Amino acid sequence: MTSALIADGLTKRYGRRTALKDCSLDIPAGHVVGLVGPNGAGKSTLLQLACGLLDPTAGRIEVLGARPVSGSARVGFVAQDTPVYAGLTVADHLRMGAHLNPSWDGALAERRIAQVGLDPAQKAGKLSGGQRAQLALTIAAAKRPDLLLLDEPVAALDPLARRNFLQGLMELTAEQGMSIVMSSHLVADLERVCDHLIVLVASRVRVAGDVDDLLATHHRLVGQRRDNADLGTGRALVEQSHTDVQSTLVVRSTAPIDDPSWQVGRLDLEDIVLAYMSGDAGNGPDRVLEGKR
Amino acid sequence: MIWMTWRQFRIQALTVAAIMLVFIAALALTWTQVTGLARDTGFTGCRADACDDAAQAFIGALQDEAAGSLYYVGNVLLFMLPVLLGIFWGAPLVARELETGTYRMAFSQSVTRRRWLLVKLVIGAASAALSAGLASLALTRWAAPIDLVESRISPATFATRGIMPIVYAALAFVIGVTVGMLLRRTLAAMAVTLLVVVALQAAVAFLLLPLVAQPITSATALNPDGQLTYVLKPSTNEMHLIVPAGTPNTWILERSTVTSTGAEFRGPADPTTCGPVDHDGPTDECRAWLGAQHLSTKVTYVPGSSFWSLQWREFGVLIALTLGLSWFSLWWIRRRLV
Repeated sequence: MTSALIADGLTKRYGRRTALKDCSLDIPAGHVVGLVGPNGAGKSTLLQLACGLLDPTAGRIEVLGARPVSGSARVGFVAQDTPVYAGLTVADHLRMGAHLNPSWDGALAERRIAQVGLDPAQKAGKLSGGQRAQLALTIAAAKRPDLLLLDEPVAALDPLARRNFLQGLMELTAEQGMSIVMSSHLVADLERVCDHLIVLVASRVRVAGDVDDLLATHHRLVGQRRDNADLGTGRALVEQSHTDVQSTLVVRSTAPIDDPSWQVGRLDLEDIVLAYMSGDAGNGPDRVLEGKR
Repeated sequence: MIWMTWRQFRIQALTVAAIMLVFIAALALTWTQVTGLARDTGFTGCRADACDDAAQAFIGALQDEAAGSLYYVGNVLLFMLPVLLGIFWGAPLVARELETGTYRMAFSQSVTRRRWLLVKLVIGAASAALSAGLASLALTRWAAPIDLVESRISPATFATRGIMPIVYAALAFVIGVTVGMLLRRTLAAMAVTLLVVVALQAAVAFLLLPLVAQPITSATALNPDGQLTYVLKPSTNEMHLIVPAGTPNTWILERSTVTSTGAEFRGPADPTTCGPVDHDGPTDECRAWLGAQHLSTKVTYVPGSSFWSLQWREFGVLIALTLGLSWFSLWWIRRRLV
């Protein structure tokens, strides 16, 4: 499997503030990848490093096998809040795309604009948040990049606009077959479109994997209270919570759990992500390491 | 990139073009007025001594006409043009993209940052230079007869004639762009650009110009019977002689009256010989006394004939500054911007 994006010890500091610290990850190509994490996890910084908008302070990042630079024809980027030129019309934006991108697909752009119901003569400053996001996505997609990076594209949209946007995104991936990495702090946004998920918390990859695998290998165990449960090899404790008499664990395990003292239940994607994002449950060596830093 | 630059720039460009058009039209309409007055007052084609009086008559007649006002408007406009171009063309160019976040869209297209800025810099600076150049060409030609009297080489007009407005406009534009890129706020960038460009104009006029001008110092014997007046300090009887300018079309940096030893002449004068001056000038006794002092007038000046060599010298300095600043901004946008 080839990689769309490889980061190794990637660090970005703004003055004394560290936005991304020692981040290492490998995002496979040919997927719609969701990058989930709480606010401040470094998602935006990572994506801006990936499209060459920022330069890393330390570490290495490779996008499609090369060091990212802005102005690359192979990487498309839709920034957070989907900025557009307020004084330019929708048609002007398409003309800009055609002038500034040698690989521009004019037919695709026009078709998408008509599909989402944008008036070409309208000034972009007068568009609603959802329409603006559609315009920005259209420009990024019509560039026909091999990799499309989307930074919280739906964060500011209402549920209907959100659904339309994600619908448009799915059509694009089906037609174009481009790799997509999109970030969000809400799993619900990504669940419908992503087939690969990465949970980033405080610059660290908590979990990464295909959505189907994640769903198949995570279990909720409920049983009599015990403080240090021995789960056996090949199983990792993701999160635990206790009441006086009962313990609830979230466990990752490739093999089915057949211990009769546990009541085993399934988890949906949101539960899994929340389990990884929630703070204090001890989770193996890297969480301990982080405490020492 | 050229299309995009023009699309974002066209409103500012057309506004300045309209102002320049009105200005040049006004010059064209009053063109015959200036040449007509110069001819009618006998200034055009005058010879030696007659020129001083003809020049005075010409300037006097001009004051009452529209052309007289336009002369000052033109000087002020050509002084202000670089400032305005720096503020309204230069400062928002990058600052607005940074402020509204649209730089993220611009840099996501298949155009490198350096090329993006280079095209904008070249088109903007060339347009600035072109508009200032046309205005300057028109004003320099139009005001040629007046400049023969009022000395276009003096700092008051030097920056508004010849090739100076061209390089000033380009430099001010690049200053605006660079300031905007560093401050990242449009309004702050406009204010700082205003200060920087005005300070630069003042520094060039008062520091650089005298430095590169290579002024000439000459001393001529004072003619005690010529046109002169003086100020006498009552307490010390210290005398300060005032000799009117004799040479038109020069820039006089310093003028003083010196004694035969070369020291500056200060009197003291006997108030009974040299009393208060009336409109006829000093009394005959006083003139005779002044004649006995063997005084000469020492003038440090830049002749009008060195106008073009001075223009090219300053042009060189300012164009070097423009290119250096452009190089810096191209480096900054790649390495340090975000």
